[in-house]
Amino acid sequence: MSKIVSEEAVITRRRDLHNNYYSLTFGPIHSLSACRPGNFVHIKLPTSDIYFRRAMSVAAVYPDTNELEIIFRVFGRGTTRLATFRTGDTLDVLGPLGKGFAKPRKSDRVICVAGGIGFPPLFYLASDLVQAGFDPKKIEFFYGGRSAPDIIERSRIKKLGLNFYPVTEDGSVGRTGLVTQFVRDMIENGRKEKFVLYGCGPEGMLRATNQIGLDLSVPGELAFEAPMPCGIGVCLGCVVPLVKGGYARVCADGPVFKIGEVVL
Amino acid sequence: MTPDLGVSIAGVSFKNPILTASGCCGYGEELADLFPLAKLGGLVTKSITKNPRPGHPPPRTAETTGGMINAIGLANVGIDEFIAKKIPFLEKQKTTIVVNVAGSKIDEYVELCARLNDIARVDMVELNISCPNVDVGGIEFGTDPKLTEETVRRVRKVFARPIIAKLAPNVTDISKIAIAAENGGADAVSVINSVVGMAVDPESWRTRITNNKGGLTGPAIKPIALAAVDRVYNSQCKLPIIGIGGITNASDVVEFLLVGASAVQIGTALFVEPDAPLKMVEGLKRYLARKKLSSVRELIGKVRKY
Ligand SMILES: Cc1cc2nc3c(=O)[nH]c(=O)nc-3n(C[C@H](O)[C@H](O)[C@H](O)COP(=O)(O)OP(=O)(O)OC[C@H]3O[C@@H](n4cnc5c(N)ncnc54)[C@H](O)[C@@H]3O)c2cc1C
Ligand SMILES: Cc1cc2nc3c(=O)[nH]c(=O)nc-3n(C[C@H](O)[C@H](O)[C@H](O)COP(=O)(O)O)c2cc1C
Ligand code: FES
Repeated sequence: MSKIVSEEAVITRRRDLHNNYYSLTFGPIHSLSACRPGNFVHIKLPTSDIYFRRAMSVAAVYPDTNELEIIFRVFGRGTTRLATFRTGDTLDVLGPLGKGFAKPRKSDRVICVAGGIGFPPLFYLASDLVQAGFDPKKIEFFYGGRSAPDIIERSRIKKLGLNFYPVTEDGSVGRTGLVTQFVRDMIENGRKEKFVLYGCGPEGMLRATNQIGLDLSVPGELAFEAPMPCGIGVCLGCVVPLVKGGYARVCADGPVFKIGEVVL
Repeated sequence: MTPDLGVSIAGVSFKNPILTASGCCGYGEELADLFPLAKLGGLVTKSITKNPRPGHPPPRTAETTGGMINAIGLANVGIDEFIAKKIPFLEKQKTTIVVNVAGSKIDEYVELCARLNDIARVDMVELNISCPNVDVGGIEFGTDPKLTEETVRRVRKVFARPIIAKLAPNVTDISKIAIAAENGGADAVSVINSVVGMAVDPESWRTRITNNKGGLTGPAIKPIALAAVDRVYNSQCKLPIIGIGGITNASDVVEFLLVGASAVQIGTALFVEPDAPLKMVEGLKRYLARKKLSSVRELIGKVRKY
């Protein structure tokens, strides 16, 4: 059983990734050893008009220094506030939370499908696999966005040595179109491969990825988002409907669910 | 001298006056990942109904100024699974266990409490006669003194240990309901459940939760809750009161004790700070030491009014 800890962590590094994307690195995070790709942290924003913590996927961990990185896009009140914090400031970080991604088998060909700000957990997954000795050439990293500035951290992804396919709707970088159409093509053209899909992104993208998995009988997992009051499974506020009926808590039963499990 | 935090309600002793509120601490297991439940004065489980309930479709919660609105819809595993799967964990916990029950008919409350009466480790039951999030039942019981009295009276016949009636703030005079609960044979009242509220997105013109209206909780309702506790404490109702509503820190706890609560429950604050009750226990100790008081009981009902 992983121990969840709420701790005051110092921001050790802040990077402006442009176009309203930011990276914050925190340390020391004492519960780091329990952290897995797909886990998230819940961050308190000490302001009276922002009541809930905000969930942020873990984008990277630095075990040597006990640091943890998140990447976010300024979207509303919460993330606007989060972007105002600077190196040296402290924030209350609760984590690591949720169930992470299952590991692929050595023989699998891994397909990551990242959409927009769904990028961080998949970046952590890919880095973790490469670090653990998984052949980077067997990782196909698809990353879709509206336009070039939405495809962040390109050089960092390339450094992992995996197969990287940026896709933009306006064609300003990489291929033109929706990321999921290229994923479908790759699977259809590689019939003999044992693919496994990992997806995180906006709902439309998750729906399309889920459908690809079902249509082409490819197993895989998707990381979901939901408004999260508690993040630890006690409020039942963050649910998604399940195909088998009823609801599951995104924070404690997920955020990672198997393809075909959630009604999309 | 370490101050004495112990309180007693209807003959049940609590090592400290800080309990976690129904719907905000799951069935205990979830919080046990964060701290030993033995540190709590007590734990009140999520409302249990006869049959399992999936709850309302998402979104079920919305953030509001100083709090939140929720319409979870009494999602719970149902009494059978609760007894089979949740009680064994709760039985091992060294804290007072209060099981909260809800029903859409009086018969349901009676049936649930009759079954809980056989489980010795259920120290008390709390009757949720006040949930604003279900169409039938819930709120009607808690707004009608006759139904309140009748519900408690019938549960009294089947449940041998103390009964707490949890009251709704959405009434003209909450003390009338408290008196009705006392007449029915309740041993304590908890004051208050969530306040009916609503939130709208001005961009999409949509209500923010699928049930449209829901229960407002968190610091936003603390003044409403304090006034309700004060009203019940100064009425003919002589039952001990458990204060609930927007409690965030030890000084909030002190305010509730001063207006007459013998203990408190912590709800929404757990979502922001899961270990908030532990901090309150420590804060309360420091407060008593600073005020040179030997027992937390010396605070109960001692508010100085103009
Ligand atoms: C498991 C998980 C991982 C996440 N990882 C990341 C990440 O790595 N990077 C990133 O940029 N964002 C991530 N998010 C989304 C993030 O938590 C913010 O909620 C989201 O960016 C909304 O921004 P805001 O808080 O500024 O919006 P606001 O306008 O302040 O909030 C909008 C409203 O939505 C509620 N809300 C809170 N969380 C969510 C949510 N997840 N979805 C919908 N509504 C929500 C808020 O409480 C508020 O009521 C993640 C969410 C989850 C659940
Ligand atoms: C998400 C959520 C779920 C709740 N579920 C229940 C419930 O099942 N039964 C009940 O009696 N009260 C329930 N409540 C009400 C709380 O127990 C408490 O009375 C209320 O939240 C006010 O306290 P607070 O302001 O400290 O949160 C719920 C509250 C919240 C926020
Ligand atoms: S956010 Fe509370 S149960 Fe998931």
